[in-house]
Amino acid sequence: MNDKHEQLIADYLQGTLTDKQTNELESLIESGAIDFIDFKAIEHLHDELEVLPVPAPSPEMRNRFYEMLADEQEKQKQTSGFDFKEFIQKMLHQITGPKLAYAFVLLIIGGFIGSTIGNNNDQLEQLSGELESMRQMMMISMLEGPSASDRLRAVNISSQLAETDDRAIRALLFTLNNDPSENVRIQTIEALARWGNQDVVREGLIKSITRQESDLVIVALADVMVELGLQQAAGEFEKLKNERELTGSTQTKIDNTIAVLL
Amino acid sequence: MMKVKDGQLDKLGLLYERYSSSLYGFFYRKTKQPQLSEDLVQSVFERMLKYRDTYTGDGSFTTWMFSIARNAHIDHYRKQKRLREDEILDEERIQGEDPSGLGEQDLRAQRKQILEQAIDSLDEDKKEVVILSRFEGLRYQEIADIQGVSESAVKVRMFRAMKELKQTVTTLTNEYSNE
Repeated sequence: MNDKHEQLIADYLQGTLTDKQTNELESLIESGAIDFIDFKAIEHLHDELEVLPVPAPSPEMRNRFYEMLADEQEKQKQTSGFDFKEFIQKMLHQITGPKLAYAFVLLIIGGFIGSTIGNNNDQLEQLSGELESMRQMMMISMLEGPSASDRLRAVNISSQLAETDDRAIRALLFTLNNDPSENVRIQTIEALARWGNQDVVREGLIKSITRQESDLVIVALADVMVELGLQQAAGEFEKLKNERELTGSTQTKIDNTIAVLL
Repeated sequence: MMKVKDGQLDKLGLLYERYSSSLYGFFYRKTKQPQLSEDLVQSVFERMLKYRDTYTGDGSFTTWMFSIARNAHIDHYRKQKRLREDEILDEERIQGEDPSGLGEQDLRAQRKQILEQAIDSLDEDKKEVVILSRFEGLRYQEIADIQGVSESAVKVRMFRAMKELKQTVTTLTNEYSNE
């Protein structure tokens, strides 16, 4: 068998033979230039390799990656200096006639609103409240989006809110229980923990324990339960242990959490 | 990856979710060591960040990623000066698997064991071609780019690897059935 025949069989194994090559291979087999029994044995073995399993990596692998990524992002933030000269040059470059006119109109409107509102603190507070409310609406709408990174951003926005309402909390709890992304769910736990003084959040977090499939999310919930001192969570963790098969490290984590909570 | 290159590092998380299992499988099939495979996956993503500026987006991302993976694997053994470790580990593993217990295993488990030993017995280049082609679904041209050889050479390697596997599997099957 020569190199060309070998390449033909390799292409056959990958399923990339053209019609012409298929005919060529059939002719070679018919003529005996390629041994049919050998060829079938190789094909069978190639198919059989599919049964070889690869064990799943440990949850620590994912943790390590996200820790490394967070470090790198932190470094990026620290090193990205602000070049004032470059900023001014960029701004000047971007200024056009219509933009100038638009800015002027905005200035007039701003001046008018400013003079009308004056130093009225109530109105300023009202404006600030409206801004907060808009931010909450934006967060809720982003949480419903299809992109995991947008949903992560939404969860991060929630952690910037000075206060939050029932609707935002319900959206976060819904995300915690239903979001397909493990990372989003973990970030949501941290965001909800900020509102841990509210009964609805505490109850929602506890109820979520038995709904979670991912060990990483369960571990994150365990940490929050300890942080918030939610003793009622111990019962839910016991239930989880009885209902589900958990990995060794998660099992240990839960046992430790129960011990701390009780 | 272009977004990561542009500074949106959070996008690397999406690449991780998509490709980490594949990379882990690649390393595990090469080394049979779970912890080392995890370390090497981490190393690949660290290198992706470190060398993100070198990514041009011209070729496929998978090719670029597996090229980094391949280098990470080679560097690991060079740094540790343990180029022969594969052979030693193979010997240990084969010794560790009690042949006397094979009679109690079902035939399917025994067959898997034989197939794994046969793949381990291939030289690194051939093993890599089988892993990338059969398990990771890469095309021969992509593997050729990763290994720095021609596509024809990869096809020949694939065929010869399969032929060697067939012979080793036959030998091992006979050995086990004689025990």
